[in-house]
Amino acid sequence: MTTAVGPPDTVTEERTAPRRLPFWVNQRLGLLLLVIALSVLFGVLRPAFLDQRLVLFPLLRDISTLTVVALAQLVALSVGHMNLAVGRMAAFGALFAGLGYDRLGVPMQVGLLLCLAAGAAVGALTGWLIARTGVSSFVVTLAMDFALLGLVSLLYSALTDDAAFTTHPSGIDALRSYSLADICAGPICGSPAVPQIAQFTVLAMLGLGFLYGSTRIGRELLLTGANPAAAELSGIPTGRRIVLAHTLSGLLAALAGFMAAAGTGTFRASIGDDFMLPSFLGAVLGGTLLTGGVVSVLGTLLGTALVGVIRKGLDLLGVGLESLNIYLGCVLLLALSADRIRAVVSYRKVVRST
Amino acid sequence: MNSVNTLAGQGSRAAGALRRFSRSTAAMLLVVVVAGYVALGIASSGAFFEGPSVRVFLQYLATPVLIGLAQMVALCVGQLNLAVGALGGFTACLMGVLMADHGVPAEVAVLVGLLTATAIGLATGVVIVATRINGFIVTLATMTILLGAQYRLTGTRTVDGYSRTLRDLGTSAPLNIPLVFVTALVAAALLAAFMYRTVAGRRLLAAGGNPLAARLSGISTDRQIVVAHTLSGLLVGVAAVTATASLPGVNRSVGGDWLLPSFAAPIIGGVALTGGSVAVFGTVLAAFVTRLIDAARAQFSLDPSWVNLLIGLVVLGTVAGGRLHQTRLEKSPQSPTALPQPGGAQ
Repeated sequence: MTTAVGPPDTVTEERTAPRRLPFWVNQRLGLLLLVIALSVLFGVLRPAFLDQRLVLFPLLRDISTLTVVALAQLVALSVGHMNLAVGRMAAFGALFAGLGYDRLGVPMQVGLLLCLAAGAAVGALTGWLIARTGVSSFVVTLAMDFALLGLVSLLYSALTDDAAFTTHPSGIDALRSYSLADICAGPICGSPAVPQIAQFTVLAMLGLGFLYGSTRIGRELLLTGANPAAAELSGIPTGRRIVLAHTLSGLLAALAGFMAAAGTGTFRASIGDDFMLPSFLGAVLGGTLLTGGVVSVLGTLLGTALVGVIRKGLDLLGVGLESLNIYLGCVLLLALSADRIRAVVSYRKVVRST
Repeated sequence: MNSVNTLAGQGSRAAGALRRFSRSTAAMLLVVVVAGYVALGIASSGAFFEGPSVRVFLQYLATPVLIGLAQMVALCVGQLNLAVGALGGFTACLMGVLMADHGVPAEVAVLVGLLTATAIGLATGVVIVATRINGFIVTLATMTILLGAQYRLTGTRTVDGYSRTLRDLGTSAPLNIPLVFVTALVAAALLAAFMYRTVAGRRLLAAGGNPLAARLSGISTDRQIVVAHTLSGLLVGVAAVTATASLPGVNRSVGGDWLLPSFAAPIIGGVALTGGSVAVFGTVLAAFVTRLIDAARAQFSLDPSWVNLLIGLVVLGTVAGGRLHQTRLEKSPQSPTALPQPGGAQ
């Protein structure tokens, strides 16, 4: 599901058939093998790792949420921008969902819609500021992060007594604790390891995969990221595409915020505090380029899964929290050195084909 | 030869325009700082002008100034340093642990801390140049690693049993001007002299402003990136020393809230994210502005969240306003065309 704006796919297929890139360059395959190998390794070392209810279920729930966060970053990266405010947009969206449940008593689905709308609105505002002023996305989203950080805490302390909405609409507890084992088709039930909340992740991935893989707008987003000047000259309204990308990014961030809130059961200002690093890790490990123009939706899931498995596995092996970050940073650097090799290889491919 | 001459001429003209611009931003910030300080003084019915208040105000200004400068040095070659907070926290904890647990004398510990921070900055620069990975990602990775290292050093405890001398130096304030603040000002003055007056400083700016032109004029842009990250590491080291000296103790939360202010100061001060410009005075004044917001928050006992909200809005307003101002200048026919970008472009 990698989509890149380089040479048109058909041309590459014809020309490079004899000298196809070696399979190890395919990052997603490598990631998949790595995730499986590590899971087996941890499973052998600590059989508890394969406990479906106690280990795999929360692990997959975390991976589901963080994948959506990474997808929010991916959309911003696809136009060559960054969204440093993913975590805060998530908190902002979740605030509205919590407000809806607590004050208006809306059903769960309406609250989710409120949450998504708030995220999309704040994302659209960010995109509009970037497109209108031409200031780099880094600065605008950083300032947005500051502003939302303050605003969200202020709103929580103004609207609630103990800085959290704890009202549970019907259905949200089910969303938190139900797995596929609770869906039965006759005598056959699903696995208790797969949480039901993953449905949002699957939906988001399908939607983005379709957007980038098969629609004109998706291609235009990628071209805007790969070469803004060329995109502008080809008649693509780059300003509007930038606004669209940031709107989608805000929407996905808000979805992740809702998932995180549903997972913990309370709507608090601290939702999304630790979203920024995983968002870049998942997207970039999966093969999305920081410079824009290349995205990989499936790779994002695999990248996030890799980080999640390593974290959980090391945790079970008794590696302290303090060392986890050291290992994660090293993994990131190593994986990206590989990414660099890939970028050089694909650059040479583009040069050769033109 | 001819082309080199024109290049140099353009460079000095651009630098002149740059200085004029930074002066105007600095002038505006100066007005804001003075007006804000006077307003605060009046609102507190004079208490804010008295010795102890001034002292507290300046005491906690040293670290924001230094981390803003550290970020500015990275920005001037077009790089980002996300590891500012983590490196500062790690260095502070390293010094604290060395002094408290291993009985290392304060001077040696400070020296080790400064050298370690500089060495980590150097290593970051070398990794960026050697692997050609985006500096954003490399510093993100070093940030993660350093956060882990800091946690490993201190765990959940707060290290506070360290050198009396350093603590005394940190809190001493002749004429109500804290020594740590003087340290920050001296660092800023040295940095300004380096940037504006030395060949090495001009090379940094040249590499940041137009890497291709810099390479063509015989400047190694790779070396400038390494130099900038090393210098950034050194300044973070100084910031860590001031923090260790003036805080009651160091723990793993030191440096956790440095990242955003480190960007806010240079951006408000008029440094372009694209590189090629510095504004030492502007950055120092911008740190003043953010500290004023914090002081005002404390004065009116508001929620601490107001500080973040206001700083975010100030940064947004500064960059958007600067950009709109420039667009208007470009539209008016008699304006010079070679104005530098105020807020940083794509």
